[in-house]
Amino acid sequence: MENRIYKHLKKDILVEFRNRSAVNISFAFAGITTIAVSLASGGIRLDANIQSILFWIIIFFSGMSGLAHTFIREEEERTALFLAIHSIPEEVYISKLLFNLVFFIFIALVVSPLYIFFMHAIPVHFTHFCLTVLFGSIAIASVSTILGAIVSKAENRGTLFTVISFPLMLPVLWIAIMNTTASLEPGAAPGFQSILFLLAFSGVIISASYLSFKFIWME
Amino acid sequence: MDNLLIHAENVSARFGNVTVFKNISFRLETGSSMAITGPNGSGKSTLLQIVAGLQRTVSGTVTRRVNDAEITVENFSAHAGYTGPLVNPYDMLTAAENLAFTIKDSAAKERVIHLLDYFDLYKERNKIVKHFSSGMKQRLKLIHAFINDPVIIMLDEPGSNLDSTGKDKLFAKIEELKAGRIVIIASNEQDEINLCGERVELGKQNI
Repeated sequence: MENRIYKHLKKDILVEFRNRSAVNISFAFAGITTIAVSLASGGIRLDANIQSILFWIIIFFSGMSGLAHTFIREEEERTALFLAIHSIPEEVYISKLLFNLVFFIFIALVVSPLYIFFMHAIPVHFTHFCLTVLFGSIAIASVSTILGAIVSKAENRGTLFTVISFPLMLPVLWIAIMNTTASLEPGAAPGFQSILFLLAFSGVIISASYLSFKFIWME
Repeated sequence: MDNLLIHAENVSARFGNVTVFKNISFRLETGSSMAITGPNGSGKSTLLQIVAGLQRTVSGTVTRRVNDAEITVENFSAHAGYTGPLVNPYDMLTAAENLAFTIKDSAAKERVIHLLDYFDLYKERNKIVKHFSSGMKQRLKLIHAFINDPVIIMLDEPGSNLDSTGKDKLFAKIEELKAGRIVIIASNEQDEINLCGERVELGKQNI
């Protein structure tokens, strides 16, 4: 199965990078919004809470255009049936999840230093900041992977994705923003419980998605 | 020779409130072949997808067996070859990359070279599929259906977009593969229907 997942991942990466649509949109959004926010703030160092809100808004919207795209593209380009015939559902899910994880973490790795540089948002608790970005990214990628699979089978995809992602994304973003604020504030003593929450949340979502994916995919 | 069975019992399909067909039954065993015919919109592709297990039935059952083992979603491509207008390879991959994705075992590599050569695509194997003509795409789809040496072959309009040479090669390949397998073809083309021993006709009488 590992070999098959590798084949899927290779295929997804080749298709994505030859199309370049999602990657280009994501990086354009990340770069433009970070620089725009930096210019708009006029060099003033913003409050840690506002900085972390803006940081996660940029990461979230940079990544989302690509994340939901992985499954929707299979339906729009009419390759979903080809994929269903030549794969088992579990390997499709795992490979799409891995692709989204790599994609989102890559976005976070690009946005974070840009944001730190342009917004002068230097993390005081660097390890805590890195863990929040990593586990926040994993949580967002795991939620959007299964939501992408669900909405790819629906007709009003855009609307449905927005509506059903709201309750699942809200706790992730809320915790990630609180954690990032704590890691930016000099006097704060950030705890690791909320990072564990992000990890546990991802674990629950990934487990539930793995078990239910076959029924979603073959619908 | 494998002991094969496809048994459909009272299979019905419906889109919303519209019944596409109902109570279709047939039984196919090793060495048999069947054509699904009927006017446009009568559900030929839908029935083929249901028989393949790629779509759920509204009612009725389909049994798919190879040597008493059930064919499931997990082992489908190891036993069955399927292609049709809705089964599209990846446009942004080359023919070779698409085929490498669907190969199940190392022995299939020899078969891929033979099939690429047979369907005159060997020289084009490193071209991006997006730049293929519709006939070349159809030949690539057919190679995908035959790539893992399937014992059950399901083809939806297999001759579409093919020139006369391509059709001749396809028909010869189907004739060659019929022995010891089950072949089902959904089509309205007489020469494709003639390849099959049995026939299910969809239409008003099935609604």
